[in-house]
Amino acid sequence: MSESDKKLAASRERWEREVRKKYIEAKPERRPRFATDVDIEVKPLYTPLDLAERGFDYEKDLGFPGEFPFTRGINPSMNRGEPFNVRIYSGFGNAEDSNDRYRKILAWGADEIQVASDLPSQIGYDSDHIMSKGEIGRVGVAIDSLQDLEILFAGVPLNGFKRVSMLGNSIGPIMLAMFIALGEKQGLKPGEYFVDLQNDPIKEYIARGTYIFPMDKAIRFACDAVEYCARKAPHWHPMTLCVNHMNAAGAGSTKGTAFAMSNGLVYIDDLLRRGLPIDRIAPLLDMFLDEREDFFVTIGNCRAARKVWAGLMRNRLGAQDPRSMALRFTSYSHGGETLKEPMNNIVRIAFAALGYALGGVQYLYNASYDEAMATPNDQACKVAIRTLQIIAHELGFSRTVDPMGGSYYLESLTKEIEQGILAEMAKVEELGGSLMAIEKGYCQGVITRGAVKRQREFEAGERVSVGVNLFKSDENLPLGAFRVNPRVEERQLARLKTLKAERDGERVSETLAGVRKAALKGQNMVEPVLDAVRAYATVGEICNVLREIYGEYQVVPQF
Amino acid sequence: MDGQSGETRIRVLVAKVGLDGHEVGAKVVARALADAGIEVIYTGLRQTPEMVVEAAIQEDVNVIGISILSGAHMTFFPEILRLLGERGAENIAVIGGGVIPVEDIVVLKEMGVRELYPSGSSLKEIVEFVQAIGKHDGHR
Repeated sequence: MSESDKKLAASRERWEREVRKKYIEAKPERRPRFATDVDIEVKPLYTPLDLAERGFDYEKDLGFPGEFPFTRGINPSMNRGEPFNVRIYSGFGNAEDSNDRYRKILAWGADEIQVASDLPSQIGYDSDHIMSKGEIGRVGVAIDSLQDLEILFAGVPLNGFKRVSMLGNSIGPIMLAMFIALGEKQGLKPGEYFVDLQNDPIKEYIARGTYIFPMDKAIRFACDAVEYCARKAPHWHPMTLCVNHMNAAGAGSTKGTAFAMSNGLVYIDDLLRRGLPIDRIAPLLDMFLDEREDFFVTIGNCRAARKVWAGLMRNRLGAQDPRSMALRFTSYSHGGETLKEPMNNIVRIAFAALGYALGGVQYLYNASYDEAMATPNDQACKVAIRTLQIIAHELGFSRTVDPMGGSYYLESLTKEIEQGILAEMAKVEELGGSLMAIEKGYCQGVITRGAVKRQREFEAGERVSVGVNLFKSDENLPLGAFRVNPRVEERQLARLKTLKAERDGERVSETLAGVRKAALKGQNMVEPVLDAVRAYATVGEICNVLREIYGEYQVVPQF
Repeated sequence: MDGQSGETRIRVLVAKVGLDGHEVGAKVVARALADAGIEVIYTGLRQTPEMVVEAAIQEDVNVIGISILSGAHMTFFPEILRLLGERGAENIAVIGGGVIPVEDIVVLKEMGVRELYPSGSSLKEIVEFVQAIGKHDGHR
């Protein structure tokens, strides 16, 4: 400890004894212990001593934005140059309904559209499948074939906004092919527009549940999309390593980040084995960071994640290109929304978004205040976009890089979170890596325990939701939930029937045979799937061929 | 039922209907019920109404608890109630939770869903409700 630190330690000790102790004896604090969702105990005060105790070293821990370890940001100007992209996750009903919404969204100035597709599309069932009943056009827009995507983007050219994206976690190559084929229809070359996919199947087995194939097959299939882009469209981002769903389910953001990075290592390993060097893989990957309980942990997690990723890429995987080490991330501002007094959600969402903006996000989207209840209505959707635009352009949030850097509290948190991520990754590795950790039920166990803990804290009033368990409100008024057109199912089934009758059936059979052949040979699936998509083979038809060859994931239900 | 203990335990089938994969709510409720001494059978994901009703009858449960966050509740709840009626199993109480607008809660309760718990509800409420149903059912 330096001389000045020793002096400071003595002063702090004196303050504790003479000032703070007396004060709280007379006026006790609200709780004996303050802690975050990620179990970091928060002290009453942070000083330079906390940094010294954690071995904080400016150059090693932070450095400069745009340089290793990228803690403060992935480029030297961040929001001063181009502010984070304003994204919106949207889709419902038939393609026409969503097309109408997309035109409005772009008129309001959004930079990106992330297509929300319905569950049948995500799980590879056509609308006429028995499992699709009741789900068509519900959590997203119904997409059976390229035709639906053409209608969805009619008059909305893909080069008319910054990026288009989609989840496609279990059907990544199919969604990639859809966007390539849609570009062709719109007369665009892949170089003229940008496509992002979530395409992260591993977390579906841990938390989100839209799996189709056995895990090893799903990983291979997902990596086909990355390999294809590495070779043909290296400016697209065909995979996003997701923390969001695992944290939402109960993992906590630190462990969730560790799991997502461990999952990333599995995909990277597959891609390296295909002969791609790390510097052609890593720049294509995004991450989907998430923290929803603590504003400061949100910022600390973003910074810590960038640092951990940079270290992994450079030191473990030998990356040399700074683009491999600089972690771009997306975030979704949500998590605390309540059904009661839903207008309060505007405030919650805005603070969540601000945390990510201060953390240095690249692509940011907001939940709508009515989202705890139903698909957002026009007004709620517009408020979500406007909130992000206000953060990007008003109140000085974007004037300097990493504005919170140097805060004794934030730097202490960032260090602790970094250590937490590394420790959890080491635990997963000890179990044999992500796949073994999932097979042994380790990740799922962490999540369920976390969920139970959150619920217990909520019911004990330790976790506050204003209007729900504190300052309780009786208001539970219908807000006028947005209704998906009740004829969505009927219209979608009619369209699918017509499509199947009118398309070139022979070409469909031939291209599906091509899909089968490529799958049997273990080839990259994007090209054959693209042929099938161009022939208007449906998502369900393509998935059915793959189900026959890959099999389906079987799970023993546990709680 | 539980022949060894000699006393009848309340039995609940916790089910995820449709394609919605968000199962943490269902699991947390299942665990809370089990912790309260209630016998819980969890179906796992992607059940059809037919599968749920069949399992409920086979397992001789007092209560079916359905979790839906995908917006498909107005399709699945009525279908489950209809199938229970068809099988003469109206005595099995149906409760549910998830993302369900207030307006729909009113309609579903009129149809015969016994209680609905939108997100933010407490586990205690759910456990007590199930226990009350079990007491009312007595030794069936």
